[in-house]
Amino acid sequence: MTQGSQQDAPFVAQCAATGATVTTSTANEVVAFYRRRQRLLDTDIEWVSAEHRAVSQAPESDDVAYVLRELDDDFERGVPLGILAAAMSKQGRTVGDTLADVYDLRMAGSLWEPRSDYLRPV
Amino acid sequence: MTRWNPSNDDVEAVSPDITDETNALPAKYFTDPNVHGLEKEKIFGRYWVYAGHANAITEPGAYFTRTIGDRQVIIVRDHDDEVRAFFNVCAHRGSKMVEDTPMTDPGNMGRIRCPYHMWSYDLDGDLESTPQSFEEAGLNPDLSDDDVCGMNASENSLSEVETDRIGPFVFLNFADDPTPLAEQAGTLKSELEAMPLGEYEHATRYVSEVDCNWKTFAGNYSECDHCHANHQDWITDIELTESELEVNDYHWILHYTHDEDVDDEMRIHDEHEAKFYYFWPNFTVNMYGTADGYGTYIIDPIDEGRFQLIADYYFSDEAMTDAEREFVQTSRQLQEEDFELVERQYEGLKSGALAQAQLGPNEHTVHRLHRLAQEAYEA
Ligand code: FES
Ligand SMILES: [Fe+2]
Repeated sequence: MTQGSQQDAPFVAQCAATGATVTTSTANEVVAFYRRRQRLLDTDIEWVSAEHRAVSQAPESDDVAYVLRELDDDFERGVPLGILAAAMSKQGRTVGDTLADVYDLRMAGSLWEPRSDYLRPV
Repeated sequence: MTRWNPSNDDVEAVSPDITDETNALPAKYFTDPNVHGLEKEKIFGRYWVYAGHANAITEPGAYFTRTIGDRQVIIVRDHDDEVRAFFNVCAHRGSKMVEDTPMTDPGNMGRIRCPYHMWSYDLDGDLESTPQSFEEAGLNPDLSDDDVCGMNASENSLSEVETDRIGPFVFLNFADDPTPLAEQAGTLKSELEAMPLGEYEHATRYVSEVDCNWKTFAGNYSECDHCHANHQDWITDIELTESELEVNDYHWILHYTHDEDVDDEMRIHDEHEAKFYYFWPNFTVNMYGTADGYGTYIIDPIDEGRFQLIADYYFSDEAMTDAEREFVQTSRQLQEEDFELVERQYEGLKSGALAQAQLGPNEHTVHRLHRLAQEAYEA
């Protein structure tokens, strides 16, 4: 986690239960934050802001598979899971919501991870 | 009695007798970073390791690269139509020469050229030419040009790596005096070569990075005791009770019978079953009972806690039909289900609580895997 200017830390998210915020330099750090909180408190994390070109250009759709396919062009080595989650927050989806959708897609063989937490559509 | 840490951490080597309590590889061999280092030599430096498919390089000069442990290799087809392999290391000052080039996107080169000082080698690995500055001593006041004798081509060739094939599958061996591939492969060679594997084209590749030791996944591939509870979609068409596990010296085969027989043209082989071959140390050939094609897995360690699964699919045509696409997706689903299992198992192993696992009587394929690893460490 980094504190600092918007430039270094363009991702802000908050705990849905307590409102505690986290500011990170990569979107995947928000996912890591979510997992740590989830394990201890069973709370969800919602996005406050995500300043990233891919996120602002991502389509507004609640179809995760479609959004992933659109984002795929921007990321040669896989779409960071956090970027996908941030893009889905345009539809009000929490980090937990998107991770659950991604899990379902993954277990259906519709997406793969060239690296942990980087996704590509099949 | 279970060997927990630390109350009972006196682990023992894998017993050759599967009915013994110490029939599994101690947990530290899955989690210790030093073991990962050791395996680079004792396993991947010693046995025949799969490099790639010969159909990827059909023209002279076509090549791909492969990294096995720390060793980087160029696999190239020479002008005599032979597939050869050389360390991707220049004889001059040891530079890596060609960029990483996966088999799925092969390159083509007339000669192998090092970009550092432009030494170049022919496709047999012989030094073909060096730039002028290696033929004369213009910059060195202590030498005259006559003192420079130039570099002899064959005495300064690239370091060649032993290769051999099973059908279109190209294997490498880094040992000084390797046992022949035919010996390591045994009946696997004749069995695979009886099928027209070379007539199939590479259709797609999926590379997944998974958070567990490579042997954890290898063990999972080798048994189907977990299938009933964990691959519910897949097992609906499979007669698990009629399956059979066949163990040989360096390979084992899982036979699965399908409930409803499929049309003959749907299968590449004659038997009415699916066959999954595991070939030590880290290669599998997947003969599906329900698709006219086959797949291969490479289970490449990254470190002690991660590996890459390189899954390749071969069908009669490079362009897949809809049915083939669907088939690949089903296969991917199985992979993901297994990734989940092996990552969970590895989390448990990594926690250090268990010193040595115990295998059941029907996990004899896993036992063979563990025995081979043990044998390799001790060699
Ligand atoms: S290191 Fe290759 S030419 Fe110098
Ligand atoms: Fe499995």
